[in-house]
Amino acid sequence: MSEILLRLDGVGKVFPPTVSASQRLGALLRILRSGRSGTGTPVLDDISFEVRRGESMAVIGANGAGKSTLLKIITGVLAPSSGQLQQQGSRAALLELGAGFDPEYTGMENLRMNATFLGLSQRQVDEQLDDILAFADIGASIHEPVKHYSSGMVVRLGFAVVASVRPDLLITDEVLAVGDESFQKKCIRWIEQYLDQGGTMLMVSHNMYQVQKLCRQALWLEDGAARQVGDVFDVTQGYLAWHERQDARDAASGSGHGHPELYGVSKLNIAGSDSTAGGEPRLAMGEELVVDLQLRSPDGRAPVALVGLVRADGTPVYGVASDHDGAQGSQVASDTYHYRLRFSDLSLLPGGYVVRGHAMDPEGLRVHDTAEVSFTVTGRSRELGLVRLAHRWESS
Amino acid sequence: MTGADAGRALSWTLFVQLIGRDIRSRFIGSASGWLWLLVTPLLLLAVYGFVFGVIFSARVPAGLDVPFIAWLAAALWPWLAFSEGVLRGAQAIRQHASLISKVALPRHLLVAASTTAVFLLHLVGYLLVLLVLAGLLGVPLRPGGILSLLFALVTLYLFALGLGLGLGALQVYLRDLEQFVPTFFLFWFFMTPILYPPDMLPATMARWMAINPMSNWMEVIRAGLFHGQLVPGMGDALVMGGAALFAVACGGWLFARLSPYFEDFL
Repeated sequence: MSEILLRLDGVGKVFPPTVSASQRLGALLRILRSGRSGTGTPVLDDISFEVRRGESMAVIGANGAGKSTLLKIITGVLAPSSGQLQQQGSRAALLELGAGFDPEYTGMENLRMNATFLGLSQRQVDEQLDDILAFADIGASIHEPVKHYSSGMVVRLGFAVVASVRPDLLITDEVLAVGDESFQKKCIRWIEQYLDQGGTMLMVSHNMYQVQKLCRQALWLEDGAARQVGDVFDVTQGYLAWHERQDARDAASGSGHGHPELYGVSKLNIAGSDSTAGGEPRLAMGEELVVDLQLRSPDGRAPVALVGLVRADGTPVYGVASDHDGAQGSQVASDTYHYRLRFSDLSLLPGGYVVRGHAMDPEGLRVHDTAEVSFTVTGRSRELGLVRLAHRWESS
Repeated sequence: MTGADAGRALSWTLFVQLIGRDIRSRFIGSASGWLWLLVTPLLLLAVYGFVFGVIFSARVPAGLDVPFIAWLAAALWPWLAFSEGVLRGAQAIRQHASLISKVALPRHLLVAASTTAVFLLHLVGYLLVLLVLAGLLGVPLRPGGILSLLFALVTLYLFALGLGLGLGALQVYLRDLEQFVPTFFLFWFFMTPILYPPDMLPATMARWMAINPMSNWMEVIRAGLFHGQLVPGMGDALVMGGAALFAVACGGWLFARLSPYFEDFL
């Protein structure tokens, strides 16, 4: 096992109330007495994880989940209210666009100051100055005050300084979203090279593609608590599926229901190899998905079954009706028909999906009722989109 | 080099950089730059010299043959360094709030750099003024008192540093101090024998003066410069050294205790 660079043990953060003077005085006295800041608004609760050398970690989560607070605690800007933090090796943080830059000073003065914050001596700065300037690539503007810089130039300079430090642990907070396409590519190239040479990164990002590409581990924060920690693919898939479902729920609220006195869906089940009791069904990509649909028929005639697969955000993937294929349901009671549909070798890419079962009239003209079951497709894949299409690479 | 040594070396680099930045920030954008360093205290000296020396006809202590203005200047610069050093040091945390909330750095260095920058600037002004007094005006300054002067300035610096750290840490939590402290320093200035000799005070007031350590500093500085006193008296040395160490210890403790939570309250 490689060396542990960072270890958090039950770290929590509570922001003390700071509005009125008496609250501030109270907090002051508490800190003086006990060294702890007491109660207030909790923002992080019981976060524990480790970052080992060479195993980069991503922190993901919705806005306000506490990601930035967590990074501030890790960099030492904020003190945790509870728990322990252990670190090894050097680290450098790029928390915010132009963090630590004083707009009144020139780029060169800020460069030197920032390099000092990151632990470079003046001699080291002199040695690396040409590299830093070449990386930042902002030309003669380096002698202009930073207040005249565009945000892209600020981030270029900031990143160039961090790049010259080559820390054991690099901490970034979604800063690469700024800067133009070519500089972003330059940064990504630098990061990939840095990671290849044994560097380790702790990053906050909303770009799951980037996260999967650069990190081995991920931490999903929700409302200040760790919802999932572990392998980057498991965590990001869980996170994305959750997100898609949130979106779908927002979109679906207010839509009507079918009429139960007409043709209706009485039962919809899906089964895969891994449908654990209680939790949501999970299938690995490539396994078989079995959909069982029981339809109600008030007049005893066989209704047409329509089964659709949509992604959790509602994007349709595939739909098929029993009358398309000339399939017959089996009559299990006078007013109940059963259909079973198998998707062998499921080619859906990992993510959250929903099976929709519809009951149509026997003529297959109108949808009378709908039921839904959501499930998650798991797997380790960097492919993009919804499904895997049959393909083959050929050399020339 | 061990890790601790490297860390100390970097802290030192950072400290020097911060001082340089602080000094430069005073002069950025002002055309006459360094001139203001001397002009402002000189104007103060002129105003105080006129009001107290001419209008109120304050006199130097009996038996001393130096112009009032020289006698005043000898104490005015150290006081300015002290009061400005404490006030700027105490404001350093709030002033650098945006830096503190984004970059992890040893925060006490911000306070120390501000206080140090003030002392360096005023030390330059002080030397120039003393040279002018001795060279151009022929005021008899005694080189024998250099040790006394140095002891006074070093302990004064430490005293300012300790107060700056303590007040700076408290100010983050108690904003009212920002209003109160400068007023208190104005009061302190007039309660210290800077503009007047201590023997002008009525006997009841003299007891009060005894608990003001700043009067010891002024006494020692003037005794060194004008009487050539080689080393400060035992009593003065104890008060000054004790006050300086006490301020550094208490201020340092307050700062160490309070600084981890600055971000929550800034």
